[in-house]
Amino acid sequence: MKVTRRDLLVWSAGAAAGLLATPVPWKVLDDVSIWSQNWPWIPQASRGPVEVRQSFCTLCPNGCGLRVRMAAGWPVGVAGVNTNPISRGALCPLGFGAHQLNWHPQRLRTVRRLAGASSWNEAQAAFARARSEGPIVIIDGWPGRAASSVLESFAQKQGGSYRVAVGPEIRALSPYEAWSGVPATSLGYDLENAQTIVSFGAPLLDGWGTPGRFTRLWAERAAGMENPQLRLIHIEPSLSRTASRAWQWISVREGSESALAAGLAHVLIEQKLVPAHGPIPTVGLDEVAAQSGITADAIRELARTIAGHMPAVAISRDDDPAIAALNVVLGAVGARGGIVRRSKNAQTHISAETSIADARAVLIDASVPWNFVPQTGAEVFRFAAWDGGLNNSAWLLPAPGFLEDLTDVPSAPTSAVQTYAVAPALVKTTSDVRSAAQFLSALDPTLSSAETIIHARCSDLFRARAGRLCAQETMPVAQIASLQKLEEEIWKGAVWVGEPSEPGGLRCQLKEWPAGASSLPVQSWANAWTIPVLPPLASKVYIESNLREAPARRNA
Amino acid sequence: MKLPRNTIVFGFGLAVALFAGWFVFPRLLYVQKHQPLDFLHKTHAEKSGIAECNECHTLRDDGTFAGIPPTEKCAGCHSERIGETPAEATLVNDYIKPGHETPWLVYSQQPKNVWFSHAIHVKRAGLACTECHLTYGESDQVRVSEVNRISGYSRDIWGHSISRLHRAPHDGMKMSDCEDCHQRHNIEVGCLGCHQ
Amino acid sequence: MSARYGMVIDLDRCTGCGSCMVACAAENNVPALPQASARTGLTPILVYRASNGMEGNARRETFIPIMCMHCEHETPCVKVCPQQAVEVDKATGIVMQMPQRCLGCRYCMTACPYHARYFNWWDPSWPAGMEKSLNPGVAVRMRGVVEKCNLCHSRLHAAQEKAAATGKREIDPADYLPACVEACPTGAIRFGNLADASDPVSQEARSPQAFRLLARIGTEPKVYYKSKEPWVKALAESNPARSSEVQHG
Repeated sequence: MKVTRRDLLVWSAGAAAGLLATPVPWKVLDDVSIWSQNWPWIPQASRGPVEVRQSFCTLCPNGCGLRVRMAAGWPVGVAGVNTNPISRGALCPLGFGAHQLNWHPQRLRTVRRLAGASSWNEAQAAFARARSEGPIVIIDGWPGRAASSVLESFAQKQGGSYRVAVGPEIRALSPYEAWSGVPATSLGYDLENAQTIVSFGAPLLDGWGTPGRFTRLWAERAAGMENPQLRLIHIEPSLSRTASRAWQWISVREGSESALAAGLAHVLIEQKLVPAHGPIPTVGLDEVAAQSGITADAIRELARTIAGHMPAVAISRDDDPAIAALNVVLGAVGARGGIVRRSKNAQTHISAETSIADARAVLIDASVPWNFVPQTGAEVFRFAAWDGGLNNSAWLLPAPGFLEDLTDVPSAPTSAVQTYAVAPALVKTTSDVRSAAQFLSALDPTLSSAETIIHARCSDLFRARAGRLCAQETMPVAQIASLQKLEEEIWKGAVWVGEPSEPGGLRCQLKEWPAGASSLPVQSWANAWTIPVLPPLASKVYIESNLREAPARRNA
Repeated sequence: MKLPRNTIVFGFGLAVALFAGWFVFPRLLYVQKHQPLDFLHKTHAEKSGIAECNECHTLRDDGTFAGIPPTEKCAGCHSERIGETPAEATLVNDYIKPGHETPWLVYSQQPKNVWFSHAIHVKRAGLACTECHLTYGESDQVRVSEVNRISGYSRDIWGHSISRLHRAPHDGMKMSDCEDCHQRHNIEVGCLGCHQ
Repeated sequence: MSARYGMVIDLDRCTGCGSCMVACAAENNVPALPQASARTGLTPILVYRASNGMEGNARRETFIPIMCMHCEHETPCVKVCPQQAVEVDKATGIVMQMPQRCLGCRYCMTACPYHARYFNWWDPSWPAGMEKSLNPGVAVRMRGVVEKCNLCHSRLHAAQEKAAATGKREIDPADYLPACVEACPTGAIRFGNLADASDPVSQEARSPQAFRLLARIGTEPKVYYKSKEPWVKALAESNPARSSEVQHG
């Protein structure tokens, strides 16, 4: 019997009919639909336990408390820590996306030179050579850490110098340093006891100081209230975010803040609204009115308003000496609710703007704000975890990224009390990274490591028996049984808080009204952000909404 | 009466298709995967006095289910060899000593968008482990893991029966199986009650 | 007892910082895609900026966070979905969006009066290695589906599981906080059970200062706003995307 073409067709028809009565088409359809919903290029999160660890954010010197959710050893979410006495559970919008930073496409993973990639060995050899040929200037962006101590020791031993590049909040305190001799890094603002805050363009609700500190304070004592306990008067030409939330917004002409401060001081003294008798500004009220664009009557009214709800303190966005002098007139210097000295033993630091021209080489720590470009022809070794371009550096050296390195957290720049905390490394490094302190320790083994110094500091805290540890509960240090217990708590995220400062510890000598204006350029707030990139989710927010980043914190 | 040729040929095609669809297709559809080593529940239940499921398959403090225990749990007893089987040799030499996690195959792995809480089903609803996992806890054999070549999921999800007819109780862990049990016990849950 | 989860957002406290938006994206595994713009971006919570329309010294501005309002009555998206990919949860009042069930017709996006729904124009992707930072509690979606705020349902799950493990029937309210609520540095966004008369957020929602957006269309949203500024309250009846005083994108 021959098999014909017709047989084949009939057979196929039978097979097709039969197939319909089998699971084949139905199961394959179902499976294919599932397959089409599981494209292999779409990643999913890991499976497994999630544990919560505590550390501190290291993206800026405020060191906000961080609660990090970890899965399979990687951070999968961050939140604030409510028991942190300074950050009070808040983070800035950049902090909430910081856990993704270590995988940012611009993450620096190898030593980089103008000619291309290089190695740690070459960098070390070049630095060792430089060190033997002349003085090295070391620049630190976050002074007060244990690592800072290592940097400073190296500079001293080598015959070079240690300089700091600090943010605008600390620079704004430099007039007080000049007039009292107390270092700006040991001054703070006692905002918790102020009744009136006169902000001259300082973005208090919008990127100034520790994010949680003033926003929480303002939310508790001012937000949405007709008669707030805390009066925020904001002086700025345009309607910034802080201006739009302030109790009073005073719009003045650009650049007239010094004049207005002088005008207010004039009225306060003349009308005996404050106990102080001087220093009296020489400028007349009509001239101030002409410069600022607000009437003399309005200036008088403003002065009366300020004096009517004391203590009052003026906060400037920069180191304008007129605004600092206004604080002297207001009696806010070394007083409750004003500028206070939070610690007795802090050293004066020299700013990195001071000439580095004589250096053979410059070493820049990763904590230095990215927009700081050293004006020098010396060989610059710059540490960074994210690559924003060489920026006049000969060497770009890969530093540990977010939460990849143990560090301690000294007092936040504007804090009224001394604090200390330790940020453990939570994330393992995946490339060969070294911090500046580790790099220098390798060259000079006689230097203590940052970790040794941190343990020594904990030991000092324990022996001093002063202050308290803030964690789930508050424990006075005097009641902690052993150094081991203290270190255990600190490594788990407890913050040591010192005693509140005595108001009388700060006195400014000011005979006459200061001349001169701010030394900082208008865009100075752009220097406050350390790294050249934003966390990806923060960039996304600024592109997909019409919120803009904290004013002038970055260029463009 | 003799059947016409067409009918025979048609019937032949039908028979081949039916046979292929019901017997050959299930074999082809699933790829057999073996566990990294032969772990026998029965041995552990008898010899080591581990009588309860939750001595190894625990609920963590936050309520999440640990599932198959991490290798360090096995290391609690097997840090050195205590028996003679080749399976134990593999465990100790390939996983415990070098500190690697044993790559167990999970028979009941659900898609990532499914949220099944053991804590709610075991603690709140009081379901015994055997209700869904039958007597696997007493088995003296290691089951082969059959994985669907197209969808990538375990055969246990669809169920052993390809047609889903004449199913053994608790054969299958698809959404409709969950729904059936919920309906029987009159427990209403919204979409996101089980999805994430 | 069934809950009715809702929010009260104090517009006098919102400083427009955007922490809520970042925290929400991190919690819900939303990618930062370089090709997305203000029009095609995916922002389950989006903070608009609004003004009183005046210039110079008389100008006032405020910020308005908008997310799914979890409409209780005649929920528009639920009514139009051909796939039943969204429903109002009887136990919690949360309007639950199931992206895995969605077929991407976007009818719900048209229906939503608050423009609170967003479409996945692209498959999500992250730079190499960044997928290790994904939140395990939330499944990643694919392109072609709509998604929106689900009041951080993953956190509700975690709270339920924790309660069950310790033998409790009800969750501890302190265990369930959506990411935006937790992130807000001024406490402008507050979250609670509107059906519980003793819940302070429920009481705030019933206070005379509280108002809802587009209340006149009767969808009974469960997100309330409050402000003492009359011009802010007047915005409540405007369509956020249409009003010339509200800027977005």
